[in-house]
Amino acid sequence: MSEACVLGADIGGTFTDVVLTRGDGRLHVAKQLTSPEAPERSVLEAVGRVLAEAAIAPGEIERVVHGTTLATNAVIERKGARVAFVTTEGFGDLLRIGREARVEDDRYDLHFAPAPPPLERAAIFELPERVSARGEVLRPVAPPGLEAVVEGVRAYAPEAVAICLLHAYAHPGHEEALEEALRAAMPDVVVVRSSRVHPEMREFDRASTTLFTAEVAPLMARYLARLASGLESLGIRAPLQIMESSGGVMAASVAAERAVATLESGGAAGVMAAARFAGFYEKSRVISFDMGGTTAKAGVVEKGRPAVVRELHVGGRGSFGGRRAGTGMPIKTPTIDLAEVGAGGGSIGWLDPEGVLRVGPRSAGASPGPACYGQGGLEPTVTDANLVLGYLSPENFADGRFALDPAPARRALEDRIASPLGVSVERAAWAMHEAASASMASAIHVVTVQRGLDPRDHTLVAFGGAGPMHVVGIAREFGIDQVIAPTHAGVASAIGMQATDLTAEHGLTYLVSSDALSPAEARARFAEVEVAARRKMGVGDDEEGLEVGRLVDARFVGQAHEVSIPLASFDVIGEIPARFRTRYAELYGVAPAGRVEFAALRVRLRRPVDRPPLVDQVASASEAPPMEQRLAWFGPEAPVETGVVRRADFRPGVALSGPVIIEGSVETTVVPPGWNVRVDLAASLVIERDR
Amino acid sequence: MSGPNADRLEAEILRHALRVAAEEASIVVVHSAHSAMIAEGADACAGILDREGRLVTLSTATNLMHAASLRCSLPAILEDHDLEAMAPGDVFVMNDCFRGGIHANDLVVFRPVFREGRVEWWTGTLIHVSDLGGSSAGGIVPTATDVFAEGLQLPPVRLYAGGEPVADLHQILALNSRTPDRVMGDVGALVAGVNVAAERMEGLAERYGTARLRAGIEDYLAGSETRMREELAKLAPGTYRGEYRIDGDGLEPDRQPVVRVCAEVGGGREGIRLDFSETDDQALGAINAGFSQALTGALYAVRCFVDPSIPMNEGCFSPVDVVFRKGSLLDPHPPAACGGRVVSVTAVCEAVVHALSRARPELATAASSVIHPFTLAAPSRLEPWLLLSYEYGGLGARRGSDGPDATGAFFLGGRNVVPQIEPLEASLPIVFERQRLLPDSGGAGQWRGGLGVETRIRVLQETELAVRSERVLLPPKGREGGQDGTAGTQYVIEEGGGERSLPAKGANLQMAANEVLVLTTSGGGGLGAPGDRAAEAVAHDVEEGFVSAEEAEAHYGVRGSGPR
Repeated sequence: MSEACVLGADIGGTFTDVVLTRGDGRLHVAKQLTSPEAPERSVLEAVGRVLAEAAIAPGEIERVVHGTTLATNAVIERKGARVAFVTTEGFGDLLRIGREARVEDDRYDLHFAPAPPPLERAAIFELPERVSARGEVLRPVAPPGLEAVVEGVRAYAPEAVAICLLHAYAHPGHEEALEEALRAAMPDVVVVRSSRVHPEMREFDRASTTLFTAEVAPLMARYLARLASGLESLGIRAPLQIMESSGGVMAASVAAERAVATLESGGAAGVMAAARFAGFYEKSRVISFDMGGTTAKAGVVEKGRPAVVRELHVGGRGSFGGRRAGTGMPIKTPTIDLAEVGAGGGSIGWLDPEGVLRVGPRSAGASPGPACYGQGGLEPTVTDANLVLGYLSPENFADGRFALDPAPARRALEDRIASPLGVSVERAAWAMHEAASASMASAIHVVTVQRGLDPRDHTLVAFGGAGPMHVVGIAREFGIDQVIAPTHAGVASAIGMQATDLTAEHGLTYLVSSDALSPAEARARFAEVEVAARRKMGVGDDEEGLEVGRLVDARFVGQAHEVSIPLASFDVIGEIPARFRTRYAELYGVAPAGRVEFAALRVRLRRPVDRPPLVDQVASASEAPPMEQRLAWFGPEAPVETGVVRRADFRPGVALSGPVIIEGSVETTVVPPGWNVRVDLAASLVIERDR
Repeated sequence: MSGPNADRLEAEILRHALRVAAEEASIVVVHSAHSAMIAEGADACAGILDREGRLVTLSTATNLMHAASLRCSLPAILEDHDLEAMAPGDVFVMNDCFRGGIHANDLVVFRPVFREGRVEWWTGTLIHVSDLGGSSAGGIVPTATDVFAEGLQLPPVRLYAGGEPVADLHQILALNSRTPDRVMGDVGALVAGVNVAAERMEGLAERYGTARLRAGIEDYLAGSETRMREELAKLAPGTYRGEYRIDGDGLEPDRQPVVRVCAEVGGGREGIRLDFSETDDQALGAINAGFSQALTGALYAVRCFVDPSIPMNEGCFSPVDVVFRKGSLLDPHPPAACGGRVVSVTAVCEAVVHALSRARPELATAASSVIHPFTLAAPSRLEPWLLLSYEYGGLGARRGSDGPDATGAFFLGGRNVVPQIEPLEASLPIVFERQRLLPDSGGAGQWRGGLGVETRIRVLQETELAVRSERVLLPPKGREGGQDGTAGTQYVIEEGGGERSLPAKGANLQMAANEVLVLTTSGGGGLGAPGDRAAEAVAHDVEEGFVSAEEAEAHYGVRGSGPR
């Protein structure tokens, strides 16, 4: 009898977390340093460890959910595949001309630097062809033109080709013909066309989305092939699913072509985890705070739902976390709204030319890692500072599997910070801890204060390996009185992704007057969109058990922005204009009399998963847990005698007063003086300001 | 939490909340507007002002062309209407360019925000609406010789009274437009914007209390003013002059008016004085600028020399003393035509930047292109259609870096406001045939000017055209040994292949079906001697097709193989 176990594997810049959830909700977790040159290796090692610990057969794994930063790193570092770009003749400069906005402070900067062109000239090819906005062929694709482009592309020797022809959403035939010719001539080259990736109007947005897809698709395909074969060699043949930025997952089989949908997946998994806790604790306003080794991410969950935006910007600028419309290069893919800063446990402290202490964004990563890992790191990291401050234990880190050496940590702090500044090592460590907290606080600032939300109205949910160590200081900064550090907070993202549904969304530009779409025509058109959505999700046309949501994007004739109106059944398509008018009046407070037209049809698919129980139910206790004492610093002046308990020993029914440190197997929680902590029945730590 | 920390946090939340209110209003206007230019690209301007008419906050994505206009036109409303006689739900509109407005098509809409029966604040929005009459569709009337030819003029009047539309005015607006549905859609969008912002302000007042909100705003404005004065005090004291010669107004062929500025910087807390008195007299054609627009240009340019993070509010205006001479290009006597003010406003910016860069030489820039607005329309058809759009050219080279390509003047805020091609083709009888960067258009120099672009549009029906191009006779100037950029052009390709030239500033020009409009924008000027340009930079320019092999050899003495 199979036990229906689920594996979650989350790769971060420093650690790879793997969580095995058994059918009864028991968890087995493994934290492993990430192997950057071959990320699948760290996943496979950690999977091997949890399988051994759980003592179950690999065949009992029913599903593997994976979050990867592979695409993110490739895009940020511009280390994607070599791509040739083909567009309609006359428009080769489409992406080089760009559409970048100068926002906020940049507007007054006479020296502003535009983003470098995303393509070199040699990579750009123009195909003689043209279709109209209505999909009529104005200039057919002729064999000589086609052959010349194929020849040129072949000579450029790309790993992938991105095709974006004008109005291809209305008439994909020309893109299909080119795709076919390219595949025939270059069978090993990945070909990505815009009419498949994002068949919606607005050529720059579509071309940019297609280009980035082509840049990451080959890398993702190769990586997933290695991972799948590795899992298979461990005996795991369960379906592999990949975490998406939207908060859902997709089948690995489609993840290469949809790699851009994974760009914010790590952050999305964390926010989804926070959303589950928000539901569990019936909190209507929650800030998720996820601090790992390399970055910290913050998001807001209101009424159980994170906000989702329809595009993200590579190299975006301005406030709201660099997500100002018009900045950077757009990628059209649903993305959970979150902010990220380059500050984590591995972030390196350094002195700028003026002698000011800075932390991050450079990280020691997994190699060499913090100095205290004893792998040759010479630069002080936030983790080194936290060790010197007494927050981390040299022996008990990660359940004692991983010894931390204070000597190189102190040396790094001494050499790089304390001695140049003429202060003690402890004072330098305290300054680094504070600087890292301030940097992470700025992520929370972006998602709350900058949006006019008052953080004091929110509960802070902290996770990630380093989150619970910094969170109380940050809460204090914002005047937040309650913090929750859930059980296994150090691997919460890997747990969060196990409970996300299989989802896909697909839109198709379809411009039609609102009275010209009959129920029969709507049914036929939506069927086409649903086929594409199913393909995006990686499920067959006849697969059952899917929730299908249909939306019609409606607007007044002459407008360019639409309002999505849900369509309950095809028979009521005639009611959409009235529903649109009502919704419009609600949104904008005016009720124009103009004619209504439809601009796009969208299908959202969801296949809900059986959610493993959220938490370990724990028995309460009346006695305080065994407590050791050690010195820890909560200010620059002098250390304080601080209680240290094991999280496993800490039970509901007992409250402890800070300062106290709670050591878990995958995270350490620090409760400073003036705060108290208890364990609730769901095994979460609830930390509150003393009244 | 209490004490100074809590106060600081609350002040910060408040400021952001104010900004978000303006931001949201701007987004609402864009999302509900009907003009292709606004809906597909351009940003709407939205702001919050106080009872006295001081600017509290401005949406940060705002078209900077509009930065001073809300602030300068609210006084007209306060002059003509008694605050005590206003009621919740009143909405006012105006466009008079001699009282703070811009020109007929730029409608300024305001709504008072009431607390306890008293007007405490104002919310305002502003966009270029689709069409409001005048002798050429869409408000591009370079041939206008007075304001009457530019469209319907509106003094400050009520658009809504107590939440109810003022039907008489709505009918007047609709009847005076070639595209009544669109223009009324745009008016609705402006109203939606002020409504949303007013609702946010009421929410904030509810939450923080009117007195606290008022005090918070007071601190906010004072803080900005202090920062502005501190920054201006850092400029090297002195008197700096700058000038900029305009191609012409399109009507007076022998006159190329000059904008002149004399900037006085004292080096103390007194701020800065910009005297434009020596600017030439007002023009016959439409390139004059109402005072709010001229002030916008001057303030923008000053802000390029101070900390850019100072919030845009009244505190930025107070330390900048700007003097215009009545009857000059920058503050003309009525009924001067003012619709083409972007030309003079650009001249103001260039002149001030040129002058002040002597106080901070690292900010020297060569001259840039000027926006090329144009309209394509079939105004007399049963189903009228209209496109107002524009193209951008190259920026001037900066000390230390090349000028960016195809992105317009510095104050225009970037290219994202130019509509994408597909949605335009989907709703209008036009087909774009080409859009490319123009090789060799950037002025040669140690740092090269940015490139202009070439756009070709085929019209599928008989079409009426208006253009208002600048930097067509006089190319953007190079600086310090850098060469001038290439001037722009505009012409029509006829069906047989022949070319027909177009005036740089002209309206009511006819195009036959299937003719092609060709617009090329100017390239930015270069900075520094071309001979000092790094050889790798020249090679890269040739490789990427920014500079042809011939020009590389001619200007830089570098032989290159050229692109494939």
